[in-house]
Amino acid sequence: MSRVVIAIFGALALATVASGAGTATPGVSPTEVVIGGTIPLTGVASSYRTVGLGAAAYFRYVNAHGGVNHRKIRYIIKDDAYDPGQTMAKTRELVEQDHVFAIFNSLGTEHNLATRPYLNALKVPQLFVASGATTWGKDYSQWPWTIGYQPNYRAEGTIYGRYVAKTAPKSRIGVLSQNDDYGKDLLAGLRNGLGKKKLIVSTQSYNVDDPDVQSQIARLKSAKANTLMLFATPKFAIQAYRYAYQLGWRPKVYINTVSSASNTMAFARLASNKKQLEGTISIVFIKDPTDPRWAKDRGMKLYRTVMKKFKGTNPTDVYNVYGMSAAHTFVEALKKAGKNPTRDSIMRAATHLNVKNDPFLLPGVVVRTTSSDHFPLDQARLERYHNGRWRYFGGMFKVR
Amino acid sequence: MRRALGIGAWALAVAAGLAVFLLLPHLVSDFHSRDLAGAGVFFIAIVGLNLLTGYTGQISLGHGALMAIGAYTTAALVVHEHWRDVWTIPLAGLAAGIVGFIIGIPALRLSGLYLALATFGFAVSMPSLIKKFPGLTGGSQGLSFFESAPQQITGLTGKVTIFGHTMTQAHFLYYLTWSIGIVGFALAWLIVRGGLGRVFRSVRDSEVAAVSSGVNLAATKTLAFALSGVYAGVAGSLLAIQGNIVSPLSFTFRLSILILVGAVVGGLGSLPGLVLGALFVQYLPTISTHVSTRSGVPDFIYGAAIILAMILLPTGAGGLLRRAARPLTTWLYTRP
Repeated sequence: MSRVVIAIFGALALATVASGAGTATPGVSPTEVVIGGTIPLTGVASSYRTVGLGAAAYFRYVNAHGGVNHRKIRYIIKDDAYDPGQTMAKTRELVEQDHVFAIFNSLGTEHNLATRPYLNALKVPQLFVASGATTWGKDYSQWPWTIGYQPNYRAEGTIYGRYVAKTAPKSRIGVLSQNDDYGKDLLAGLRNGLGKKKLIVSTQSYNVDDPDVQSQIARLKSAKANTLMLFATPKFAIQAYRYAYQLGWRPKVYINTVSSASNTMAFARLASNKKQLEGTISIVFIKDPTDPRWAKDRGMKLYRTVMKKFKGTNPTDVYNVYGMSAAHTFVEALKKAGKNPTRDSIMRAATHLNVKNDPFLLPGVVVRTTSSDHFPLDQARLERYHNGRWRYFGGMFKVR
Repeated sequence: MRRALGIGAWALAVAAGLAVFLLLPHLVSDFHSRDLAGAGVFFIAIVGLNLLTGYTGQISLGHGALMAIGAYTTAALVVHEHWRDVWTIPLAGLAAGIVGFIIGIPALRLSGLYLALATFGFAVSMPSLIKKFPGLTGGSQGLSFFESAPQQITGLTGKVTIFGHTMTQAHFLYYLTWSIGIVGFALAWLIVRGGLGRVFRSVRDSEVAAVSSGVNLAATKTLAFALSGVYAGVAGSLLAIQGNIVSPLSFTFRLSILILVGAVVGGLGSLPGLVLGALFVQYLPTISTHVSTRSGVPDFIYGAAIILAMILLPTGAGGLLRRAARPLTTWLYTRP
């Protein structure tokens, strides 16, 4: 980033502090901590809204139980309609008008890239970015005020690549990927995981506002692929199953975590049939709320209580669980940041986490960061779709 | 006597409008001024679309893409050539005007729904087209002024000084956008009232009659598209200046639909109602998410509000204004 912008924003920050309430930390009062973030509540990506709403429900639960150090957490969600231009405007509003302590859980790769220079120049923590791009964890020396959360896409692609290379080295792989950083990260990871093996026979991409992927699937089939990588968001992943089914094509499917939620799979089954989904492989790090395996699990009992008592919506939606996990981690970081948290201390806490008891993550998954490891979630297991539900197999992978 | 009163009433309305324009940002919070500046962007685009659709009768679902041309012209000049952001506005208008002229050419052969579909195709393909040239447009990440050319942003420090008068950046953006909007509005009003406006309307009402009275159909339609494109380009440029970023995700076909909704709610073929149309599309998403954030509810309220507006305001807000003012105008303009 240009030095000029740092200098200018530095001056602006000083001016704001000087004109504000002395040296007090913005957003932190004796009774409250104010944080905020952008979430697409309307528009093409509004199905991700529960990432924010789930987190909000969890904060209400924490507040009802006394908050953190007697402070309630007020989490302001602004709608950016998945438009980075609006993300920028709404983030400025959060920082300059609502005087938030930190930006938390803002959703989208391009969207967080847009605000990162601004937030870093003003030294506002950009915590637990809801995007799997690799840059959040990798480029911390350039952007010390930013940290991601979920396992990154590139690493996920690498796991699939290694698994195919090891278990089915004669595969002919066809890839359907979204034409943006998300799809490209997964594809780059896959190539990395396959190593020297040239197993990819065709790569088809689509744009997020395309109506469907029918022609892409037809082209993958005609390239005689027998393995299909779905690096696509839920709508397009469901379409992929449907069109493959209609063409009578039954490849071995790998589906990325963005689309592997049980309810997405249920829709895919309605759009095709049970056989088409059988044996699909994905990775998992979070508890699926529709999975009967967790019926008696303490974490998921807590989840259902929070959903019921604290105004959650769509309890079967796995993004709620994700949002709650991010919120849980924020609460842990806030506890670690001291009695009187500052932006410096919350950033230090967020980069020195070791949370082993997150109730919303798979048993054994630890939220861990160090000064040189800025990937909070970097463990996952492989799972296979069998008889209408996911079952994980094999050991825990390091997703790096 | 009544004629003098009529002129007086008219002057009063204009003066009141100007007073609201000047005072409004001082009555609301700084960030509200920013939202109002956003509404100004819609206003300019809607005025342009109204010239084309309301007065010339050519439906366009591609105005979001024309705004993209304007926005990316501005962004490319700022980021690659280090132009000051505000000086790029005229060129952005020109670039989108030229593109508007070009997409006007299919309009010579297509009409009605077919033209709407062709322009819709343009809007749908725009994000992919943008990503096709990552060197120029920054690909799917877009171009960020903050990251690449912060010195070129007017009011980066939060304050802007013009002619010794200092104001906040939000106020500056508000005055910039709405000044351009008012000038654009006045020009559109002059065009509509003049000979060219008559030609536009004749094409709208009956192409056959227009041609037989000597109207050059091809020139008229492409001119209307080009003019309308200039407005969209300027609006897009201002959008980029306000957001300090351009991204393909900002220019999906949804934007084109929003502009058309704004024009229809404001009242096609009428100018004063367009302010209300612009405020409608700017604030509806905020209001709908305030009501409830439950799944599907904001989108439902959004759709229901548009349907309600269509039912209650069949001639748009402009028609409502005309009806409300009718007792006054009849009294003023009829001889006793």
